[in-house]
Amino acid sequence: MPPLVEVSGLHFRYGKARVREHDDAWTLRDLTLNIEDGSTLGVVGESGSGKSTLVRVLCGLLHHQHGEVRFDGRDIREWLSESQADLRRRNQIVFQSPRRSLDPRMSIRRALGQPVRSLERRVPSDTELTEWLERVGLDSEILQRYPHQLSGGQLQRVGIARAISVRPSVLYADEPVSALDVSVQAQVLNLLMDVRSQFGLTLVMVSHDLGVVSRLCEEVIVMKDGLIVEAGRTSEILANPQTAYTEALVTAARTVSLAAPDR
Amino acid sequence: MLEIRDLSVSIGPHEIVHIDALDLPTGRRVGLVGESGSGKTMTAMSIVGLQPADAKVTGSITFEGSELLGRSETEMAKVRGGDIGLILQDPARALDPMMRIGRQVSEAIRIHMNLSRKEVGERVLSLLAQVQLPDPEQLLRRYPHQLSGGQQQRVLIASAIACDPKLLIADEPTTALDVTVQEGILELLVQLSDERGMGILFVSHDLGVVRFVCEEIAVLYGGRLVEVGPTTAVVRTSRHRYTESLLAANPGLADSHELEEYVGRRFDVIRGSVPALGDFPTGCRFRDRCDFASDACSEPPPTMIGEHGHRFRCWNPAEGTVNAAAG
Repeated sequence: MPPLVEVSGLHFRYGKARVREHDDAWTLRDLTLNIEDGSTLGVVGESGSGKSTLVRVLCGLLHHQHGEVRFDGRDIREWLSESQADLRRRNQIVFQSPRRSLDPRMSIRRALGQPVRSLERRVPSDTELTEWLERVGLDSEILQRYPHQLSGGQLQRVGIARAISVRPSVLYADEPVSALDVSVQAQVLNLLMDVRSQFGLTLVMVSHDLGVVSRLCEEVIVMKDGLIVEAGRTSEILANPQTAYTEALVTAARTVSLAAPDR
Repeated sequence: MLEIRDLSVSIGPHEIVHIDALDLPTGRRVGLVGESGSGKTMTAMSIVGLQPADAKVTGSITFEGSELLGRSETEMAKVRGGDIGLILQDPARALDPMMRIGRQVSEAIRIHMNLSRKEVGERVLSLLAQVQLPDPEQLLRRYPHQLSGGQQQRVLIASAIACDPKLLIADEPTTALDVTVQEGILELLVQLSDERGMGILFVSHDLGVVRFVCEEIAVLYGGRLVEVGPTTAVVRTSRHRYTESLLAANPGLADSHELEEYVGRRFDVIRGSVPALGDFPTGCRFRDRCDFASDACSEPPPTMIGEHGHRFRCWNPAEGTVNAAAG
């Protein structure tokens, strides 16, 4: 089977492409990577490295200027022009700030049903809505509530329930727990692990936290200045970094890791 | 040096913080750890009189023997930036975008010290060098937006230590920064504290970061101190169940040879979430999220005393077991 997502020579920049290739102005430069169906991929790197931009290009939310992105064997440009709704349905994102990614004026009922309404052109039944909430450990009594009445952890669960309501192939999670309290982060990360295995999802997770990536993602790419500087099995790369940049990231993570020896 | 006794901070009917006793001896680095709503920032801000206008603060906070609470705003303004320096989370928002770096750093010196123009200039240059910023002379003329986040935070540290404070209050100073930049800033804070004998009250949600910087840790939950003690004791042999679960929920990066076995392993969780103000249970405030809660927990827990000043308030404490934080 070919990989679910195939990326080769991908170039992206915000605004018009008026510079030649290999110029610093590209936000993503000449990226090549494959994502196998059912795999778990971590995307790490510092702010400005292009992690979130890459995710948005792969979902078809941003349009690349050069190179090729294929999803399920088909060019993403073709998907966008011919069956955009299908592409969106099969590639869902959970964003960093659940509070900012849900419309404050929309009840949870409306927000939760929205992907099915717009992508499948039908109104979900109450039974479905309840089932979706149960999957993420929430009670149906929150359906009539509004985002400001829920905690950050509950909202992120709604975000996950919403994303998987349309039975996607790939779940992209962009820093899904960095806006949450430490005591709630573990709950949401466990939930991501559970829904991934339960629904056979491919998980692509952007995170600055190497500890989190080391548990959720079997594979990892390390990004810097719009380039992939290292890619491979997470346990091997973190144990034995081949580039100075990855090594610096690992060292910095170990400095503040509770697993580090006492000073 | 800093002594907090029976500190209570309330807004309206809600008591947000109640700390019976917390000390920060001269030159010590103490971490104040808690999640959102724990009252950590409110505590720090009350020390320097920067609590919200509608907050009612009672009790006692003494700094070098003299009372800080109840002082006039003019008097507090002399303390802030003088004997007590302050750095905040977001460096980009703490700097005036229209003010050159030189002027920004010299502001506190001009207010608090009686120095000539030339002396002020020399002091600014030496401060920028002390926070390890390259090319200080060039930097004086730059504006904040021309600096990276890490450089901006170094500039803020330079202004906070400009008048040789005895205490530096740092509220989440690296939360807005990348991990590799964070490491440099944390090391700088430790070094400055050692060199100058300057105490630090380090406020953060991140136990890993606090552990790196501080010699003592005070853990807050729902505005109450649940555990206080030497860093190693609190992290390795936590007694309060909240501290214990917080450490287990966020273990960080495992050792290289153990990484493989952690792939796909679930995290230990603390159930529920931090309640809204006014929704905390009576007695131990953590009890409805705690796996070890018993009937006794509906009464306020007693303060228990362990070795080396390790104090905790829990009816069913962990038996001083070494935490399985490694992993």
